Amino acid sequence: MTAVLPLAARRPSRRVKTTALVLIAALPLLLAVAGPLVAPHAIDTPVTAPFATPGDGALLGGDQLGRDVLSRVLHGGTLLIAGALLVAVVTTLAATLIGCIAVLRPGLGRAVERSADVAILLPPLLGIMLIALAWPGGGRWAVVAAAIILGVPYAVRVVAAAASPLATAGYVEAALGRGEPTPYIALREILPNLRATVLTLFGLRFVEAVYVISMAGFLQIGPQPPASDWSLMVRENASGILLNPWAVIAPSLAIALLAIAVNLVTLCLAPDTTAKAVTRS
Amino acid sequence: MSQTAKTGPVAAPGTGAATDPRRAAHIAVRIAGTAGRRILMLIVLLAMVFAAVEILPGDAAGASAERGESAADLAARRHLLGLDRPLWARFAHWMTALPTGDLGTSARGQKVTELLADPLPNTLVLAMTAFAITVVLSLLLGCWAAARPGRPTDRIISHTSTAAFAVPEFVVSAALLLVLSLWTGWLPAVTVTGGDGKPASWTMLIMPVLALVIPQAGWNTRVVRGALADQASTPHVEAAHLDGLPLHHVLLRHQLPGAVPAIATGMATSTGLLFGGAVVVETLFNYPGIGSVLAGAVAARDTPLIAGVVICAGAVVSLVLLAADLIRYAVLGARA
Repeated sequence: MTAVLPLAARRPSRRVKTTALVLIAALPLLLAVAGPLVAPHAIDTPVTAPFATPGDGALLGGDQLGRDVLSRVLHGGTLLIAGALLVAVVTTLAATLIGCIAVLRPGLGRAVERSADVAILLPPLLGIMLIALAWPGGGRWAVVAAAIILGVPYAVRVVAAAASPLATAGYVEAALGRGEPTPYIALREILPNLRATVLTLFGLRFVEAVYVISMAGFLQIGPQPPASDWSLMVRENASGILLNPWAVIAPSLAIALLAIAVNLVTLCLAPDTTAKAVTRS
Repeated sequence: MSQTAKTGPVAAPGTGAATDPRRAAHIAVRIAGTAGRRILMLIVLLAMVFAAVEILPGDAAGASAERGESAADLAARRHLLGLDRPLWARFAHWMTALPTGDLGTSARGQKVTELLADPLPNTLVLAMTAFAITVVLSLLLGCWAAARPGRPTDRIISHTSTAAFAVPEFVVSAALLLVLSLWTGWLPAVTVTGGDGKPASWTMLIMPVLALVIPQAGWNTRVVRGALADQASTPHVEAAHLDGLPLHHVLLRHQLPGAVPAIATGMATSTGLLFGGAVVVETLFNYPGIGSVLAGAVAARDTPLIAGVVICAGAVVSLVLLAADLIRYAVLGARA
């Protein structure tokens, strides 16, 4: 019986670890919110030579136009995180609503299953490229819209999978027998029991959105060059990595920290079964 | 994909083998049905790609317009590209041309198939190498972690893999570039293309492959670990433990076979992410694959070209998913 974990024995240490993780995750978020306020220079005016090494008033050196790397990093996360939050909130809300109703209406459930099967054939990044380019001038909004459209089918499937055992629960059948309307049952009887799933889903959707939006930024769909954006900075300064590596390291580190921290927190807060169901989809 | 994790309580793999002909026919019909369903889904995807290209605002003629071009010139190119015909006619033409290997014309007037003929094999080499390494690595790490559940090794592997799959490929690439190329000088920083359109040396594949493998192996290690954990709680595995069989024997002979269908499906679904990652990694390392073609297509707003790449990627992902279906049938037999 070595396979069984003494879970209860690890509870206290787990709580301490989770608190520590939440604090670490809050760091990049704080950086993104407060960053623009403390940035020492403007993001669009050169203060030093192109790809200048750190020093001379620019703590992390200059980028390809001699603009201050530190200031651009401090500014570069706000819109990325805002976009990712928006995608995560909208996707989770939509998926929760549709998922709860789908378990009560088998027809809708099958439609969701089929659309998720089709969405799996489309690599997310290619889907976003396609939508963003077919919608010229969409910029960041096109990327956000595409991420939501492509993400909802998976997310619905996760919620529906978690909700399906509830659909046959006694209190739900009782409500069905009373002749309650479907939206009422979905919201009042099923949804309250899905808190853990929905929270985990939100966290992982946020991670996924950071990933997709920054990949799109790197490929120069979305934020356009004069703007400061972490992923765009990596792309723009890659050519000068030898001269001032900080211009690439700093924004890369910021993205990596944000993604890893939020991801670890999400999976630590989640009950084991939910984490598995969500990551498996 | 969710139903794949549910193997029967007594999963004795391989017992569903088709010994009598009726059962074999039954399985053949089911496989044909699965293949048909995959093809149908691919067609639906194609219709959606077509709709995204055609219905959303902006078209290829306008996107490739030169400055100072007259309205008449624009209309002429619109006609040349067939954009003045009704939507259904264009869709019918596009769909009937597909089986003959015609992916349409790019906004610059070149055949999409010609533009992809050289870069696509390069990308497939890159992605398939990365996929093979990912499969081996994640199976090894997943089994290693599952061998002693809850121990430090398990926790370190689980947390590292969780962290690895959250990081975008371009961040991993930047780190690799710094360490393996600029600081140590072990590997060339950019891919140099030889006369045949392929990378000049195989060492130029190492960093792009690593950049793809690290996040993918992170994801798939979690899948393997999760599937093995599911199997660990089945009666026949617990019975094997109680019989006092050695740990690695139980893991490899009893846990792993039952977990194979879930693992195959999980890995198949990650090929889409691998493609997306390849696009980015190729751009950064200047690797001569579809990534560099796509980067150019993004700059030129060349949507038909991007649709062509999406079709190729969708077809490859369909094939891999079909392979996963077949593995599932082979392992589970009639119970699939």
